[in-house]
Amino acid sequence: MPSIQDISTFHTVRDSGLNKLVPSMPRVAVGMGTCGRGNGAEDVYQAFAEAIDRTGADVQLTGVGCFGACSQEPLVNVRLPGRALIVLRRVQANDAERILYDVSMGNITPDLTYCQIDEWDHITAHVKYGPGYPELLPWNEVPFFKGQKKIVLRNCGFINPDDIEEYIAVGGYEALYKVLIDGRPEAVIEQMKAAKLRGRGGAGYLTGIKWEFLAKAKADQKYIICNADEGDPGAYMNRNEIESDPHALLEGMIIGGYVMGATEGIIYVRAEYPLAVHRLRRAIEQAKEYGMLGENILGRGFKFHIELVEGAGAFVCGEETALIASLEGQAGRPRPRPPFPAQKGLWGKPTNINNVETWYNIAPIITKGPAWFTETGSAKSPGTKVFSLVGKVHSTGLVEMPLGTPLKNFIYDVGEGGVNGRTIKAVQTGGPSGGCITKTWHSSAPSWVRAAWWSWTKTTVWWMWRATSSSSRIRSLAENVFPAASA
Amino acid sequence: MQNPAALNQINGNDRSFIDQVIANRLGRPGALLGILEAVQDRNPHKYLSIEVLRYIAEKTHIPLARIYSVATFYALFNLDPQGQNTICICRGTACHTRGSRKLLESLRLELGLNEAGDMSEADKLSVTTPDGKFTIRTVACFGQCALAPVAEINHHICGHVNERTLEREVKALDGER
Repeated sequence: MPSIQDISTFHTVRDSGLNKLVPSMPRVAVGMGTCGRGNGAEDVYQAFAEAIDRTGADVQLTGVGCFGACSQEPLVNVRLPGRALIVLRRVQANDAERILYDVSMGNITPDLTYCQIDEWDHITAHVKYGPGYPELLPWNEVPFFKGQKKIVLRNCGFINPDDIEEYIAVGGYEALYKVLIDGRPEAVIEQMKAAKLRGRGGAGYLTGIKWEFLAKAKADQKYIICNADEGDPGAYMNRNEIESDPHALLEGMIIGGYVMGATEGIIYVRAEYPLAVHRLRRAIEQAKEYGMLGENILGRGFKFHIELVEGAGAFVCGEETALIASLEGQAGRPRPRPPFPAQKGLWGKPTNINNVETWYNIAPIITKGPAWFTETGSAKSPGTKVFSLVGKVHSTGLVEMPLGTPLKNFIYDVGEGGVNGRTIKAVQTGGPSGGCITKTWHSSAPSWVRAAWWSWTKTTVWWMWRATSSSSRIRSLAENVFPAASA
Repeated sequence: MQNPAALNQINGNDRSFIDQVIANRLGRPGALLGILEAVQDRNPHKYLSIEVLRYIAEKTHIPLARIYSVATFYALFNLDPQGQNTICICRGTACHTRGSRKLLESLRLELGLNEAGDMSEADKLSVTTPDGKFTIRTVACFGQCALAPVAEINHHICGHVNERTLEREVKALDGER
């Protein structure tokens, strides 16, 4: 595919992507995130591939990312031409043959069915998969998904992360195109400010204001960094976001580069996430090939490069000054601020660092506007946040909820309470230096059950080094995000 | 001025590989980490010898003290040869609540490594059996918390492991040798 330099080629690529996403033949897509693989998704994929080979079935087989329901893995979604997408759960390799048989008969496999999706708001585009089946539950009526709003995870589990065309099919890179055509970087900063988007690494600083600092800084070279050194035990939101939808990260960063006047971007990923590294590397190659990265992006004369750097197993490198030291070839030890990275960052140059998830929110805000974004979440902190819900809860997985959702909704609605119906005694939030919350959920009956519930990955790192403000910050976070918890 | 001892111990192939890696990366962000990662990965025993570190220092003009500081700071770098098989137990909190300490203890016992390593830092462990067959390591978190407890066996993630499955894996790997 030649690099995209005009709208008509862009539309051709989008149509080609749509033909893969909603083909005129049945499509079987296996969830191939690390969580799926850990539960045997590779064997499932292999079994489908062999069965298709053997029978010569006219079926498109592909791998997608993770839809978030980790406790139901391996997930497989099946779509018959013109019909809704069906999500199958706990699929084993020896189910492949009968699923393919059902597909060939135009049937669904009832005992494996989890839910269905007739249409999906990919936020940057809307895709109608097809009319649903009256006997199946829509996805948002399944307890685990009830109340979830997928903005960050908009494409996870739907598109093949290794195929840029499928990303473009769901509206990918359109926000970038729009920004480059409009040519008004300051207007984008105003949009980010109006959306009141806060950094998703945990410190919650306003992204628009941070961007403005770097945009105004004068230097021959500026850097943009994506902090993907997600290290807090229990947190794996960023891993799944990157594994399932790597191009959305690239698009956010390229837009950021244009708006802030930087030509170099760096993604610092922890080495414990080999699949994320692999998929990002491939996404960067494809983005270059299709003209989204490089010298003359989308034919609009903007130049931007992204470098991928693998960490080497140091938790502290998630703190921004330590991360910069690590990039400079030093041991990753934090240094005091000021100077802030926006003044003196990588190699002394002005630098902007944002968390993975912050970058995922950029394209939706540009496409739908700040007013749409502020409809979700709390007044001070709009939008959604992805949380990993793990430990001794019934349904574990990645959950994207509006900010301000009470903690009990996570545990009792989405998580469906304790494992085996047992009582939840305590909930831990915020990683190792977060707290255990017992008050509201303290059970009078003695129980061994504990739920570990994590959030706000880098929050804790920030707090560790800003000890003076930590207690008030925790309190304000608790009041804003978990009203029931701090009540 | 090159150190003759370093040249004696690194063969020509390795030298040209290291030279190539350095030429590709030097001056870019994260260069030193990338160089050390690539060189360690090529080593059959997955480690960085002091001679290699010295050679990299000479070629990059980065002080050896700084390279040593980086190689010892990051958990991923090994200064000792690693076993033919690596079993890495996740010590993240989700795994901990689901019994990963017990797993680690039983694995160490099984491989006769219960006394080895610095027990004061039980959460940062890397010990190898004397016959070089197995290395047991720990990691802070793999981010596979929904599959807790998790072990990584020769770079393959295994979820919901218990003492029995680990024992079976070790036996299978031992039999292959």
